Amino acid sequence: MSSSAAAQRLPRSEARVLSGHEGAVLAVRFNRDGNYCLSCGKDRILRLWNPHTGALVKEYKSHGREVRDVHSSSDNGKLVSCGGDRQVFYWDVASARPIRKFRGHNSEINSVKFNEFNTVVVSAGYDRTVRAFDCRSQNSDPIQTIDTFQDSVMSVNLTNTEIIAGSVDGTIRTFDIRMGRETVDNLGHPVNCVSLSNDRNCLLANCLDSTVRLLDKSSGELLQEYKGHICKSFKMDCCLTNDDAFVVGGSEDGFIFFWELVDAPVVASFRAHSSVVTSVSYHPTRACMLTSSVDGTVRVWT
Amino acid sequence: MGFDDNDDDDLVVYGTPIEREEDTSARKRRAVAEAGQLRALPAWKQEVRDEEGRRRFHGAFTGGFSAGYYNTVGTKEGWTPQTFTSSRKNRAEVKKQSVYSFLDEEDIKDMGGNALETSQQYDTFGLTATEYARKQASKEQKERPSAIPGPIPDELVVPATTSIGVKLLMKMGWRQGRSIRDAHTDSLYESRREARKAFLALSGINTDGEKLQIDSHKSDKDEKATESLEGLHSTGNTPVYVLHPKQDLHGLGFDPFKHAPEFKDRKRLQKSARDCNRSGVSMRGSLLISNSGQYAPGFGIGALEDLGVEDEDIYASGFAYEQMEVDIEPPKTANDSNYKLEDRKRGVFLAFKIASSSEYKLERFDPPDIPANFDGRHKFLTPLQAVNNFSDLAPPEVPPPEDTSLRLLIEGCAAMVARCGKHIEDFYKEKSKTNTQFNFLNEGDGCSYYSRKLWEYQQKYIDQRRPDTVKSKTSSDKLTAENRGKILGEKPLDRSTKPSSSSLPAKETIQLQSNLGDTFVKPISLDGLPEYEKPFRNDPAKQARFEQFLKDKYQGGLRAANLIPTSTMSDADRARERLDFEAAAETIEKGKEKKALDPLSLLGLTGINEQRFVSSTESEKLIPAQDEKSIYPRREEFEWRPSPILCKRFDIVDPFMGKPMYVQRPRSKMDSLIFMSESSTRTNDKEESSSIASQHTSEPGTTEIEAKGSATDPDIGSSSMQKPVDLYKAIFSDDSDDDMDEPLTNQPVDPVKTSEDANMVLNRLVAEDFLESLGKELGLDVPPEKPTPPNVLFRPEMPSTANASSISRNGKATTSQEIKENKSSLHKAVVANASADAPSDNAERLDLKYEKQEHRAEKGSLHYSHRQTQSVGLDSDSTSDQHRSRKRRSRHQIRSGSPDSDSSVERRRSKKRKSHSSHRTRRSKSPYADSSSDSQHTKRKRREKKRHQTRIPDTDSSDHEYEERHKSSSRRSSDKDRSRRRSRHHKR
Repeated sequence: MSSSAAAQRLPRSEARVLSGHEGAVLAVRFNRDGNYCLSCGKDRILRLWNPHTGALVKEYKSHGREVRDVHSSSDNGKLVSCGGDRQVFYWDVASARPIRKFRGHNSEINSVKFNEFNTVVVSAGYDRTVRAFDCRSQNSDPIQTIDTFQDSVMSVNLTNTEIIAGSVDGTIRTFDIRMGRETVDNLGHPVNCVSLSNDRNCLLANCLDSTVRLLDKSSGELLQEYKGHICKSFKMDCCLTNDDAFVVGGSEDGFIFFWELVDAPVVASFRAHSSVVTSVSYHPTRACMLTSSVDGTVRVWT
Repeated sequence: MGFDDNDDDDLVVYGTPIEREEDTSARKRRAVAEAGQLRALPAWKQEVRDEEGRRRFHGAFTGGFSAGYYNTVGTKEGWTPQTFTSSRKNRAEVKKQSVYSFLDEEDIKDMGGNALETSQQYDTFGLTATEYARKQASKEQKERPSAIPGPIPDELVVPATTSIGVKLLMKMGWRQGRSIRDAHTDSLYESRREARKAFLALSGINTDGEKLQIDSHKSDKDEKATESLEGLHSTGNTPVYVLHPKQDLHGLGFDPFKHAPEFKDRKRLQKSARDCNRSGVSMRGSLLISNSGQYAPGFGIGALEDLGVEDEDIYASGFAYEQMEVDIEPPKTANDSNYKLEDRKRGVFLAFKIASSSEYKLERFDPPDIPANFDGRHKFLTPLQAVNNFSDLAPPEVPPPEDTSLRLLIEGCAAMVARCGKHIEDFYKEKSKTNTQFNFLNEGDGCSYYSRKLWEYQQKYIDQRRPDTVKSKTSSDKLTAENRGKILGEKPLDRSTKPSSSSLPAKETIQLQSNLGDTFVKPISLDGLPEYEKPFRNDPAKQARFEQFLKDKYQGGLRAANLIPTSTMSDADRARERLDFEAAAETIEKGKEKKALDPLSLLGLTGINEQRFVSSTESEKLIPAQDEKSIYPRREEFEWRPSPILCKRFDIVDPFMGKPMYVQRPRSKMDSLIFMSESSTRTNDKEESSSIASQHTSEPGTTEIEAKGSATDPDIGSSSMQKPVDLYKAIFSDDSDDDMDEPLTNQPVDPVKTSEDANMVLNRLVAEDFLESLGKELGLDVPPEKPTPPNVLFRPEMPSTANASSISRNGKATTSQEIKENKSSLHKAVVANASADAPSDNAERLDLKYEKQEHRAEKGSLHYSHRQTQSVGLDSDSTSDQHRSRKRRSRHQIRSGSPDSDSSVERRRSKKRKSHSSHRTRRSKSPYADSSSDSQHTKRKRREKKRHQTRIPDTDSSDHEYEERHKSSSRRSSDKDRSRRRSRHHKR
């Protein structure tokens, strides 16, 4: 009963469209508190929005190629973004100027994240490496390079002590800094996106066999598989709702899918975009969701 | 006399009397006098006086009584010339000297505050006026259209300045755009007219003639006035703006609307509308147009960058954007063409008219008539049956006829028919009427066998052509991750490829395999292996693998990768097994060549294998392969070393703090072969434990012996402490290889050295314990540590000695050794080479093996070339595979100082102190033991070969000694090997 009630509250109605990007929007991300969001895409521009009013706050232009991922620091003071130009851009939010460009990747960078203290930026790239950069020093070279992956690393996530990255070689690798251990979870399918549950105990992996898999982080056990959407050739995000009750994922045909976490039935699905849904971001506290698509729009759902 | 008195009265004085010098004021005189004196005085006593001789008071703040530097204008340094300095940071300013730079404050004060200035008012050609004008102009520019579309650089067009003259003129009534002359004439004319009017009014005479005259005059004047008005345009000043900037492509002065002024307005309207749009969209629009194509819409890449694969629009192109600003305005080019069309329609180009009937006609040819009976498909005289037959059901398998000649005939015939077609069969059938040999084609014995064979060959034939079509299909497909992986030669992800492979009919894969195999070598029916060719009879799983190996080796072609349950076997096990298989295969081959197998050698062979494979991994292998599907998700753990700075930034204590950074050694193939994966042991943790249990139950002797060995354990530790050096030397050193090996196994060890080593180990252990406890006290998370190198490096010793002893001791074994040495003696050169290149790794050794094989093949075998290429290819494949898979792991392993993944602190401790049974199990389980045993094994072999050639007396004697000493204990069973080995260590 409660779950069905919760399902009713899922964001399904379109509140507004954030349009401005020309060409595919490759990622959209809420900031830490969910008051703002960042979007980036093929037009090489990073945009800061207020998704609740639809106002475009700022544009960040400096990338020379498409921007594939963006993340804002927990204090909202800095941004990191990455993309086709093989450098991680470290931005000042207010002045909209890049403070630093971290280099080191030999190829396109797929994903980038701040750590908890905004002191380290970790990026994952097509060059099969995950690299960590120091924000505190002037050095623009990586302080750590992890090159155990066998194929392009698609997604990276950080906890307080771990670096978690998913790769096309079908593995999710968890690098525990505290223990000095690398844990490899081989899923057997290219992993597109890795996201963490809000309690940090589970890993959600979007695989290229049109399956979203939920893993127990500590044991590596497969908890559940979510199917129904199409995910075969594009990098697409998936995430959990803020109460960890549902799994949200996009589909290549423009649909958004909601799965119930435990039993994995499709609770809701609706057509959100006319084309591939590249990214999904769920509000940290409220029932609000952002989706971005190749059709050049970001949509806010409540 | 009276005159004289009056003399004074008469005296007239003219002029002013000249002052005498004496009369000049005393002050002055004094001053002059003092000046001389003052000059004689020292500088600081002198006083400044003015020409009146007064002391000059400069004021309390301007020097008091003494001004300047001791009443001079100089400074202490005197007059120093100005220095000119200019650096990159501090640019010297260009100093403009003016009068003021030579005047001091006093002088300026004297001028009464009236500074000399140039007045802007009278600055006819001055800067200010131009500056002002420029500003004005730029302000204006924004509002008016300019001659050149787009912003014009200011440098190009300098606006006219209004000089004072212009201003004066304007004051006088002149306006811009009027010529001065006209204004003058006008005024003249005006005044004249006024005068005339006055004159007429005065005279009051209105005569016609005069009127006429006046009129004519008037008209004349009017004409003049109009003329001057007209002239106003031509003779006026430079127009301030261009009314109609040229934006079209017409020739200068050409007006397309000359004869159709009504269209002019329309065009202007259009233009203005376009201009409005353009200001907003123009740039964007052009960008869009230039990039619309197969690349992502909306963006181009930089002019300096090449278009790459990554710029392609991966998201199904042709997608209509919901909000495109381009839609507001049709592309410019289209616009232009529209104009042109319109122009033409209107007939604006007066000189040309569109011809009503064009004289030029494109000559077209009709397509040729197709005959009614044309089919469009080539018909073969005999239908290609093979293709159709493919779907046919396979005839049942029939045992071949007894007569081998008949069987061969049938097979050959079937092959021919399959290859050439049905007509061959017909031909044979024709023949069969006369020749009874071909009876099987119609009826008679072998008919069913023939049909079966024919079907098989046909399948094969079809399969051979198939790959091409398959290939072409996939290449046209989109590049998926899998495809890419395949292209890159990556190991495919098992699960993702699984369904596709399984979807392939099993029979087809088999067909493919046998097909390819057939093209290379004679088919061996492996099932029909005689009993003596099953060296691993007592281990069915292994026998199966061996057969697979033989198949791979001699048949080539495709292999099903998963036939061997690889997951349960560690890499080193596999490598070792492979060596065994090689040896076994060789013996079998040899036996075949001789047509008579030496029973002894075979016995010896089995003996070796039995002895060698009673390790824990052996029992492990017996466990049936897990279901592949249940493997995912599969978890593996490795050690990973975060950089200290990363730990610091994450606010985490570096788990490897204080531990030395491992030295990265040159990564070679050897690493991958000798150091094997942790993963295999880890994934099969459970299996291991069970295997350990089974091992214990099956081999009570082992534990027994261990108990024996426990007494002298520290000794073992100490001796092993030395091992790293020896091992590495043995591996890496070039010529000292054999010298290093001998003492390793045979020479008694210097007792002093041993005790030293023991101390070292002890110290090390103590230190580690201390650090650990310290860490725990501080509440730090102390990660588990790797097994200490001594133990690790000790292990390799054991199996090798076991082998060695078994080979040298057992009568059976020696025969096998003989075989080997026969082989090696055949190719001494090769072996010598190998021993010279001591750092040869396993891969090299394998190569060596193949070389041997090669030589043998040269001797007699017909299939030499096939086998060589094939086997080498396979081998290289497998090694490279192993290499790839293990590259990383081996690297981790080499960091021997760092923690092992599955050994906890407790375990380590137990390892150090607890009973040696557990010690033993761990050891036997450890990957190091196996892998390095491998290397040791090879080493041993090499050494033996060499010994065979050179006969070093020392080693031999020591061997003999050794034999004597242990004769009693060595003969019981295979288990005894272990005890011997151990005891030997004790001796050391």
